[in-house]
Amino acid sequence: MRKNTLGALALLLSFALVVAACGDDDATTTTAAGGVATGGTFRMETDGIAYTSGGDPSGEYLGISFGIFTNLLARTLLTYYHTGGAEGNTLVPDLAEDFPVVSEDGLTYTFTLKDGIMFGPPLSREITSHDIEFAFRRMAVESVVAQYEFYYDGLINGLVLQETLPDSIAGIETPDDKTIIFNLTRISPDFVYLVAMPATAPQPEEVAGCFMDATYGRYVISSGPYMYEGTDELDASSCEALTASGPISGFDPANHSYFVRNPDYDAATDDPEVRANHVDRIEIDLNTNIQDTFAKIKAGELDGAVSSGNPPADVLQDYSTDPALQDRLKSGGDDRTWYITLNLTAAPFDDVHIRRAANLIMDKAGILQAWGGDISGIVATHIQPPALSGLGADYDPYATEGSRGDLAAAQEEMKLSAYDTDGDGMCDAPECSGVILINRASGPWIEAEAVVVASLAKIGITVEVREVTDHYTQIQTIANNIPIGMNAGWGKDFPDSSSFVGFLFDGRGIKAEGNYNYSLVGLTEAQAAALGVEFGVTPSVDADIDECKTIALTDEQGGLDCWNNLDKRLMEEIVPWIPYLWPNILTTIGPAVTAWDFDQFSGVTAFSKVAVDPSLQN
Amino acid sequence: MTAVTGGSGQHSEAPVGPIAVTAEVIGRSPWQLFVARFRQDHVALGALGFLALLVIVALLAPWIADNVVHHGPNDLFIHEPVKMVNEFGLPLGPNEQFWFGADRSGRDLFVRVLYGARTSLIVGVVATGFAVVVGVTLGMIAGYFGGWRDTLISRTTDIILSFPLLLFAIGIVGACSSSPEGCFGGLIKPGLQLVIFVIALFSWPNIARVVRGNTLSLREQEFVDANRSLGAGNFTIIFRELLPNLVAPIIVYSTLLIPSNIIFEAALSFLGMGVPQTVPSWGRQLSEAAGVFRVAWWMMFFPGMFLFATTLGFNLVGDGLRDALDPRTGR
Amino acid sequence: MGRYIARRLLWVLLVVLLVTFFTFVIFFVIPPVDPAILFAGRAPSERLIAQVREAFGLDQPFLMQYGLFLKRIFLGDEYGWPGFGMSFVTRSPIREQFLDRAFVTMQLAVGAAVVWLVMGVLIGITSALKRGQWQDRVSMGFALFGVSAPVFWLGLMALYIFWEKLHWLPGTGYVPLSEDPSQWFLHFLLPWVVLALLFAAFYARMVRGSLLESFGQDWMRTARAKGLSERKVVFKHGLRASLTPVVSMFGVDLGTLLGGAIITETVFNLPGLGTYVVRSVQSGDIPVIMDVVVFAGLAVALMSLVADILYAMLDPRVRYS
Repeated sequence: MRKNTLGALALLLSFALVVAACGDDDATTTTAAGGVATGGTFRMETDGIAYTSGGDPSGEYLGISFGIFTNLLARTLLTYYHTGGAEGNTLVPDLAEDFPVVSEDGLTYTFTLKDGIMFGPPLSREITSHDIEFAFRRMAVESVVAQYEFYYDGLINGLVLQETLPDSIAGIETPDDKTIIFNLTRISPDFVYLVAMPATAPQPEEVAGCFMDATYGRYVISSGPYMYEGTDELDASSCEALTASGPISGFDPANHSYFVRNPDYDAATDDPEVRANHVDRIEIDLNTNIQDTFAKIKAGELDGAVSSGNPPADVLQDYSTDPALQDRLKSGGDDRTWYITLNLTAAPFDDVHIRRAANLIMDKAGILQAWGGDISGIVATHIQPPALSGLGADYDPYATEGSRGDLAAAQEEMKLSAYDTDGDGMCDAPECSGVILINRASGPWIEAEAVVVASLAKIGITVEVREVTDHYTQIQTIANNIPIGMNAGWGKDFPDSSSFVGFLFDGRGIKAEGNYNYSLVGLTEAQAAALGVEFGVTPSVDADIDECKTIALTDEQGGLDCWNNLDKRLMEEIVPWIPYLWPNILTTIGPAVTAWDFDQFSGVTAFSKVAVDPSLQN
Repeated sequence: MTAVTGGSGQHSEAPVGPIAVTAEVIGRSPWQLFVARFRQDHVALGALGFLALLVIVALLAPWIADNVVHHGPNDLFIHEPVKMVNEFGLPLGPNEQFWFGADRSGRDLFVRVLYGARTSLIVGVVATGFAVVVGVTLGMIAGYFGGWRDTLISRTTDIILSFPLLLFAIGIVGACSSSPEGCFGGLIKPGLQLVIFVIALFSWPNIARVVRGNTLSLREQEFVDANRSLGAGNFTIIFRELLPNLVAPIIVYSTLLIPSNIIFEAALSFLGMGVPQTVPSWGRQLSEAAGVFRVAWWMMFFPGMFLFATTLGFNLVGDGLRDALDPRTGR
Repeated sequence: MGRYIARRLLWVLLVVLLVTFFTFVIFFVIPPVDPAILFAGRAPSERLIAQVREAFGLDQPFLMQYGLFLKRIFLGDEYGWPGFGMSFVTRSPIREQFLDRAFVTMQLAVGAAVVWLVMGVLIGITSALKRGQWQDRVSMGFALFGVSAPVFWLGLMALYIFWEKLHWLPGTGYVPLSEDPSQWFLHFLLPWVVLALLFAAFYARMVRGSLLESFGQDWMRTARAKGLSERKVVFKHGLRASLTPVVSMFGVDLGTLLGGAIITETVFNLPGLGTYVVRSVQSGDIPVIMDVVVFAGLAVALMSLVADILYAMLDPRVRYS
């Protein structure tokens, strides 16, 4: 059994390589060859990092924060090579000396820590297994709002969300300062990915323990190569002293993040392929005007951007058409699908024929154009992105010419629906008009909105658009029963299908608020009653998910075929989505940049791989 | 309001005090004098002509779209053979078919701008209409009855006018748009209706102030006393005697309030808190232009020019009316 | 005088209280985002939501919450006095961010005020003196333009012409004076002028109107009869009388702008209170919204009080009654 599990694990890891390689050949890498000079300041601006927890590593959940933590501030037992493409989705030991030793029953993972890994100032002490254990104990406290605690909840023996800090967790043992042992309740080959998430990075109890209300973000003690500027000015002698001496001046979520080298970081404990740490200082300032930011990058006044989206279309046009600038346009694959979610319980989308017709009519090429054209990605044809699943755009159950939508085919499908009362291929029941569609109040969704509205109108579905800032709250609250939303996208949490189809369509995960199964696939009568909603039962794929998870335990490819079959079944039989885009992540860099890399795991600049030539900076 | 919306809010009502309705000269009523004076103001008449033209164009927008340019306001031109966006999704500029070029979604900007006139005029006129009804009623009550009613109404207008109005408007729009049902138990739905409601809510105090001032000075005049001594009730005095004398100032100030409200709507839409995208609005078009104006000047130029010309037109007419009402302020 | 000021201060307090009360009503009765859900993360448990509500006092009855808010503002909180509180979104004290942004807004407002005062008064005098001549017509045409052109359109056009086409000015954004004085000036130039145009137009009209009115007054005729030069008559007597309304209007306008020039800050991407509050409305960050509203209300009320006192000193006809 031991051999089996380990073998599956190793194969799974190597397979991730192969699969990812298929979809990411365009990820650009400026090789950080030996000749790159060190020193200097890498200057960036951001139009607003979407903090989910004010910078607290337990609660930060989105890509940019993952990038900042895993590159700069937080080392985890395992981590990724911070690079583009397949290699960037590959695990590598970080705090741990090696990959874990897994017990014969596959339930116990033992990690041994490297020597000489230190917390930065003001602590400047060695990191022990207790600091990692504390991160897990802290995660279990409700008020900390650890946004992805659910991955560990119930998986690690005894880890459950609770009101107060647990003294210990049954499933986590720390026999000595260098060893940490996890006992799982079930076999879970993807556990290795879970110990590479920033929330599991060591947290010193004497500091993080003072901020059990999710405010540790402004007092973060670094375990990585950099730290927030001014961290050394904290007084960690007591919680009161900390608050009095803080917050850290170099980090203000609404203004700036300044990073300087962590004097207690020992490069010998790290791998330059993981973190190269060329520059002495990284600055990220807030500037909500992205036009301005990209103009400064072009002029050499900045070296890069941390933008919430791709550069504006005029910038992309500028860089793509000017040979002198082409090299400074960088792109990387994003293991993500953008889609329109269709609610299986809300009329008229409670009819599968309507959902299919909507897929057939959608002008996906038009949406792609609104997103910035071919440079911005490829039209999505099913649920899981190719880099994750190996299933590419050649599988397209709703193929239309040029991906522009096909009126005749959509109308044929529409005729099968009861909402087409006279059988002319147009949705003409009262339910077909004034359908509420949720959209974001920002680009490129705004630009794409007209395409979606016009496409649906062709088959008689007229929508009433609500552009809202808290768009996710809208579709995540079941009581709203939003019929259709074009705001949704899903990116991998870690490179495995269990964080994609295996997570999104699990009917057992449906809850009243903060629900991720927006389409309500697999809603049961009992659930509907418990949620207090009138709408009823929907088709379920729970059994398929369980089957794939079981197969994944022994399958060399982590159950990939099974997951892909589930993807197909969802697209053809259930039709919860209109997937429209597998995006590229694009950004530009300044003329002074001498080394740059894309971080596949977090989908942003690999902050630890950048270098500049200060003499070229303006 | 002025500061934030960049419109002519309270300042256009700057001389808030009573406007003397100049007394009868050679037997002509003030109203006749008013009309006669206005007729001699060629600039104002020209502006009125422009506004009339604009109204016609707005009314005919669907006909022009169908029969002249053959493009609907929500038709997309994003694929061959008629493709008005380039490979990066950027709109193309004016040409023979698309006189004002295209917007980010590949729609005909000319048609969108024409339809935008409808939105602006509807919002300007309807919101001002509500504001006038409320403002005149409360202003007359305050001015005529005085006492606690006056104190209550005057203080309320003072307070509303010291609110950060645009901020409040954004807040209410934001709050009411966050759920599909709208707010106040579904009474106010997101979209045009909500925008009109919010603008009316914040613009009636301007009218109320002016009407109160004028009522106050009329109340003291002999003809009112005479009527009262003849036994006329409050109701009769208000509607028979006061209101007819207030018509002229009300017209003047509503005319000056319309451009201010049009800019208010445009400002809300510019901030993304106005009407939805499917309803063409100049403010919204300018907001879209803000992201690409460096490569698509037409998206900024045409809607802005129309917005400017419209507010200018109303201001010119309003100024002309004011001068006609009270020549002392004149040029 | 003392009693007058005291009474006016009480009125200021009342206005601020009422303004905050209505703001509170709007954002609590119809909140754009439930702060508890905002704070409770992406997988909230009922218990956590309850906890968050308790922590922020959201479980209290409405009036109680309002009371807590007033207490925070007037008595201060753990971060000092006045109590700015803690942001729902960034989970950090609002204080520092607020003061930084208020400073940016102040630079914008004061700079614009200088521009519009100079422009407005000069244009107003010119056109009054040259009544009916071409200078008058040009001036009043300008005033009409300023009154009618929306700030956001003017701003975009100005950026297009002076930044994109002529390259005379740098783009948008804020550069602190301490960092680079010339860039600071160049970045503020367009916002100042664009924002000032509107006000300059009103002030020019007003100065012209009241100057013309004063020309017809008895005491002006007396001054002329005394044999004073026309220049002296205009500047010493006429202008003084006609500037008094400018003073009282200036107070209110500057006060309003200090609370954030939302549109101008948005167009020129200035990190002031205006952009702060727009973002906070969108994200449902109620403590920030309340802070800005209180500040804006206070600024208007206090500035108009100051203006009224100045007005009274300039114009002896005013009685403190």
